[in-house]
Amino acid sequence: MLLYQFQVVYKIYCILIPKFCFLCGFDAEEDLVGSLASMSSNEMIKSFRRFGNALSEFFQQLRPWHKSLKIIGAEFGTSVLSYFVFLKWLLNFNIFSFLINFGFITIPQFLAAEPNNLSFTGLELLTGAGYFQQTVLYYGFYTNATISKVENGPSYNMQLAYIFTVGIYFVICFLILLFSMARFFSSNFRLTKAFSVNASKLLCTWDFNITNEEAVKLQQKNLLTQIKVQTTGGTQLMCASHSVGDLVVHTNLCSGLFHYRQSAMLVLPVIVSLLNTLVPFLFSWLGHLEKFQSPGQHIYVTIVRNIILKISIVGILCYYWLNIVATSESQCWETLVGQDIYRLVLVDFIFCLLGSFFGEFLRRIIGTTVCVSLGLPEFDIGRNVLDLIYAQTLTWIGILFSPLLPGIQMIAFLIVFFVKKVSLMRNCQPPREVWRTAQMTTSFIFLLFCPSFLGVLSLFFHTLRLKPSEECGPFRGLPSMYAAVDEWIQMLERYTVSKWVVWIYHNLIASELFFFIISTAVLILTYLYWQIIQARKTMIKLLHNQIINAGQDKKFLLQKLQREQRAKRRSSSALGGRGQQVSLTAHLLLFNCLGQVHGAPPAVQTACCFGKRLSLRFNLNSCYLTPDSKRMQCESSLIICSRLEFSLDIEKPLPSPDIIYGYETSRKHS
Amino acid sequence: MGNKQTIFTDEQLDAYQDCTFFTRKEILRLHGRYYEMAPNVVPMDYTKDPDVKLPMQLIINMPELKENPFKERIVSSFSEDGEGSLSFNDFVDMFSVLSEMAPRELKAIYAFKIYDFNTDNFICKADLEKTLNKLTREELTAEEITLVCEKVIEEADMDGDGKLGFADFENMISKAPDFLSTFHIRI
Repeated sequence: MLLYQFQVVYKIYCILIPKFCFLCGFDAEEDLVGSLASMSSNEMIKSFRRFGNALSEFFQQLRPWHKSLKIIGAEFGTSVLSYFVFLKWLLNFNIFSFLINFGFITIPQFLAAEPNNLSFTGLELLTGAGYFQQTVLYYGFYTNATISKVENGPSYNMQLAYIFTVGIYFVICFLILLFSMARFFSSNFRLTKAFSVNASKLLCTWDFNITNEEAVKLQQKNLLTQIKVQTTGGTQLMCASHSVGDLVVHTNLCSGLFHYRQSAMLVLPVIVSLLNTLVPFLFSWLGHLEKFQSPGQHIYVTIVRNIILKISIVGILCYYWLNIVATSESQCWETLVGQDIYRLVLVDFIFCLLGSFFGEFLRRIIGTTVCVSLGLPEFDIGRNVLDLIYAQTLTWIGILFSPLLPGIQMIAFLIVFFVKKVSLMRNCQPPREVWRTAQMTTSFIFLLFCPSFLGVLSLFFHTLRLKPSEECGPFRGLPSMYAAVDEWIQMLERYTVSKWVVWIYHNLIASELFFFIISTAVLILTYLYWQIIQARKTMIKLLHNQIINAGQDKKFLLQKLQREQRAKRRSSSALGGRGQQVSLTAHLLLFNCLGQVHGAPPAVQTACCFGKRLSLRFNLNSCYLTPDSKRMQCESSLIICSRLEFSLDIEKPLPSPDIIYGYETSRKHS
Repeated sequence: MGNKQTIFTDEQLDAYQDCTFFTRKEILRLHGRYYEMAPNVVPMDYTKDPDVKLPMQLIINMPELKENPFKERIVSSFSEDGEGSLSFNDFVDMFSVLSEMAPRELKAIYAFKIYDFNTDNFICKADLEKTLNKLTREELTAEEITLVCEKVIEEADMDGDGKLGFADFENMISKAPDFLSTFHIRI
């Protein structure tokens, strides 16, 4: 049954690879084969590197919208750019899902399709019902048979294909999201809390992307305002308590939604989208009324409220679908749910476009003609990104019930990108408030993973255990969708070749003991890593203190050196006549600000006695400190002919501007 | 497409690909940009490694750099002869470090050079004052400037020498996660 799939994939592979080589300008395979035969290993490595470079060039050519992104970044900065980059990234999930669903589920279905007897009226595009009900768009149309074109040839089990395609897609999404989140988290969050506000504002936040003169002036003005506010010590009042107000709003919304579920088809999606669009405005208006400690807090609170709103809406809808529609006695509940989701996605898309029209275009007209004090609107990054996450969540929920939904969402995202870009360029001004791009992007990816994707995953597993409808879909007649996999495993048990698959299934996937062991191991590892993090934090504090101490030692030594030099210049006592021997020990203290110097003690290079003056020359060229000791002493005893007046010349090694040395002398008369 | 170009030899292009973060197409595109700044001076044939440098005035008039307050510092940090004129290698180097694929450590090194106005390998108070003036179009009063610069040195200077060494700067950069995305010029 899987053989058919493998054949298809293999054929595609064979067709694509030569095209790929052609496209990336990598000269014909014949060259490669011929030259491989007579090559030294060096050249092999070079040709592999060239192949790698050609591959990366090929993928870079596929990079769409490079110019658009550059223009957006140039005019509005990195913060607004992050929304469009996020949109582009989400598009990839939909493209991937559409391709594999179309390839593995829809194309075989075309071969075994039943004729569609319904008529097409234009209204179907909006409601998703009617003609579309009997097309590949919905779960209900798919057959539960094993498709085979040729008698006794390879057959294609639709049930397994359906469940495995969707399942493997979710697993791959899970891995991609997990790794992206980990990567962003590790590069954007730091262990130590100390965040030097002023220093980073001055040296790290200037956005080099911006090349538009007006935007640059605006950015400079923003920085000026921030510094002025800080130096004059602006204070803000504490925020009022918002939690009670939030709860009231949310419970009202939830109960309202429950009442509307029985109404006509399009009313539910319209109401949901209206809620999604209008309530955030209510929240930001509330936010303006309340006083916050900082503008950043205002943004955070508004975003959290929007998140809670969207989670409540999606939660209620899912509860309704899975507990009420699924257990009702309707004919094909999966198709009904699919249609609901289709309508929701479509109306959400229309409202997004309308929101852009009203929110930005009309607001600009109002801001420039009627009420000039309002000014141009700003692009609300938080609300738009949350809309994207909501749309993607709906798509993920709908994949099981409507396999081609990602294709529709893909087209929607493309149109949204274009519309938002045009609206942004024409209507908006660059953002005035500080938007911590890296942290916000990490938070959004985390939001995409944690409530959104994990919620969808748990929904998926719950749906697998529901009873599918009797008359339609690939799982008709089975007690649950998951039963298809059980049946397949039982069938595999009959063949000895595939006994290992059965073993893996029984002992690893379906066994609770295995998951218990894995969970315990993961928890232990997590605890170990947590302890390592704590130890590293302590280490960082110790090293930080060490650096500060080193700096203070350096200052102390410099001052001591200066004092000694002044004292020596003032005092000059003669010792005696000739023949007096004085041994002079010079302790040389070598010091570096980080204590990183290491090596051997300096040797005395020359010592000359000019009658009254002794000159000692230490050669520091091969001199370093050991890592443990910050000071190093070297002694040199010399016999002085007569007078005490001496000078100490120390030849500095080049370039170490921060090796500082001081000396102490002790005299012994003999 | 393919190996039809005659501007660079294959070995030169491979060397550029190894030393920078650009692909072949991008290097050829960069050469196009370099050429169109001074078509009379820059040769189309780079196979013999011609020694051509463009002066700073031409480079800081590029649209990517024109409005940047630090454009002269950026160009002088990458110029080998210290006067601000860039050869093609320096030009590619500059945009490679400023591209989005360059790692944080490399960007930190060059950011330090850019903000070090008097090139003494330290960011001292005078450097900070000049930076602040460039960032705010010189609209701050002298007391505000001194106040801000003192606060910056207080926060970032760890070893207490009154100026920021490279270690201090790098430590501060590591705590600012936005640095990678803001220190980036797309070409």
